[in-house]
Amino acid sequence: MSVVAAISAPTVERRLRAWTLCRVFVRSLFLQASWNPRGMQDLGFADALGPALAELYPDPAERARAAARHLEFFNCHPYAAAAIVGGAARLEEQVAAGKATGEDVSTFKRALGPPFAALGDGFFWLALRPATALAAAMAVPFLGLRALLVFLALYNAVHLTARVWLFWTGYTQGEGIIASVSHAQVPRGTWLLKAAGAVLAGALAARSVLAASLPGRPWHGLLTAVAVVGFALALPRLGLLLAVYLALLVGIALGASIL
Amino acid sequence: VLGPVFTDAASLVAAALSAGAVAGLLAVERKGALQLMLSRPLVLAPLLGLVLGDAHGGLLLGVPLELLTLGGVSLGASLPDNETTLAACMTAMVVPAGLRLGSGVDEALAALGLLLLAPMGAVGRALERFAEERNVALVDRALARLQAGDPTGPRLNLRGMLLPFAITGALTAACVLASPLLAALVRACPARLSAGLEMGWHLVWALSAAAAVRAIRDHRAPALSALAAAAVAGALAIARALP
Repeated sequence: MSVVAAISAPTVERRLRAWTLCRVFVRSLFLQASWNPRGMQDLGFADALGPALAELYPDPAERARAAARHLEFFNCHPYAAAAIVGGAARLEEQVAAGKATGEDVSTFKRALGPPFAALGDGFFWLALRPATALAAAMAVPFLGLRALLVFLALYNAVHLTARVWLFWTGYTQGEGIIASVSHAQVPRGTWLLKAAGAVLAGALAARSVLAASLPGRPWHGLLTAVAVVGFALALPRLGLLLAVYLALLVGIALGASIL
Repeated sequence: VLGPVFTDAASLVAAALSAGAVAGLLAVERKGALQLMLSRPLVLAPLLGLVLGDAHGGLLLGVPLELLTLGGVSLGASLPDNETTLAACMTAMVVPAGLRLGSGVDEALAALGLLLLAPMGAVGRALERFAEERNVALVDRALARLQAGDPTGPRLNLRGMLLPFAITGALTAACVLASPLLAALVRACPARLSAGLEMGWHLVWALSAAAAVRAIRDHRAPALSALAAAAVAGALAIARALP
């Protein structure tokens, strides 16, 4: 039976309770607790599905066999994986009802893991996190310590909403999650966040230059401007650690009037 | 308002233990649990600063460290330098040293702290890899339990958080205990070297801004950043020139 057919097969028996789904979701927040280079998120995935398997398989031996199926290689973005955990819970209902096989669940996980990993990395790690962190960094002179709350609120409002939505949509729609995510305009949102991040990074650089340009030491501002441009160009070749030491040593040499 | 100065050994050990516990918990949050970004330098450094008695000092360290490490992303099996270890160690050593000096965190102290502790990001990455390799044994144990018919095997998942907690906690506590040495080093610095360290911190800020620009991985980002920088610089220069 195909995965799509398995998910869309009409069945009313052995649906998971809402409380069980909540427990699966909460456990999915610990998906990477034992991340390892061999199976990556394998143990976390098996653990997340534990409450669902406990409800579907009252017999401990049968449940252990079902859990063992999930100790297979799995890797995805930890937030986007919520959709796959939800979809797998739905498929496990089908497996328990004899309408799908364990292999269908594995196929579902293998098929959706890589594209959702790419989607999550691009949106959350490379767009949302830089943009919100930069917004908070820009707000520090005005808000002080409250800027942290700006960062956490902006980031987690999107992150937690997305995680809950992905889990629920994955559970209710299975492979239909792909269509739902494609309607969510994620690439457009990613680009907008990256553009906002780039603008904020530029504004931050300008502020650094102007902050260094105090009366009586105008050349500090010029030096900072040259340093920002120089480091931006050389950073990929230097690497961060070398660049940090270069900045510190040049600063010490200039500030101590050694040069 | 600066917190207590850890002059006696007992208060220093107590501060080391509490800072270690907080940093350990935040390190677990970085990858193993939740990922609410509490472990980012921008959040961790002020929180740890609060525990040690100077949240504002932590913020002064956290912002540039955040920008420096903004581009480090864990994609697949690749690991970036561990920004949580770096921020925890920096805060744990610099904040108590500032309290001991009575000045709080200033530019020279922060620069000297970074000079000593910058490799901790790479050290943290190596230790993270070590902890992850140890997790393979957890998976084997879980599988053995399942094969024996015990369905609770996957609960071993949570044990994977112990090692990151212990490693980061221990490193952080050690840095708090070493903070009097940093304070003594700063006291021993001649005025010229202090001025140099201050300048060094300004250039670290410049590097942070450059790293933030590089963190936006899009070919249009440098142009957008340049335009924004020009607009902000122009606007602020005009504002300054106005009577």
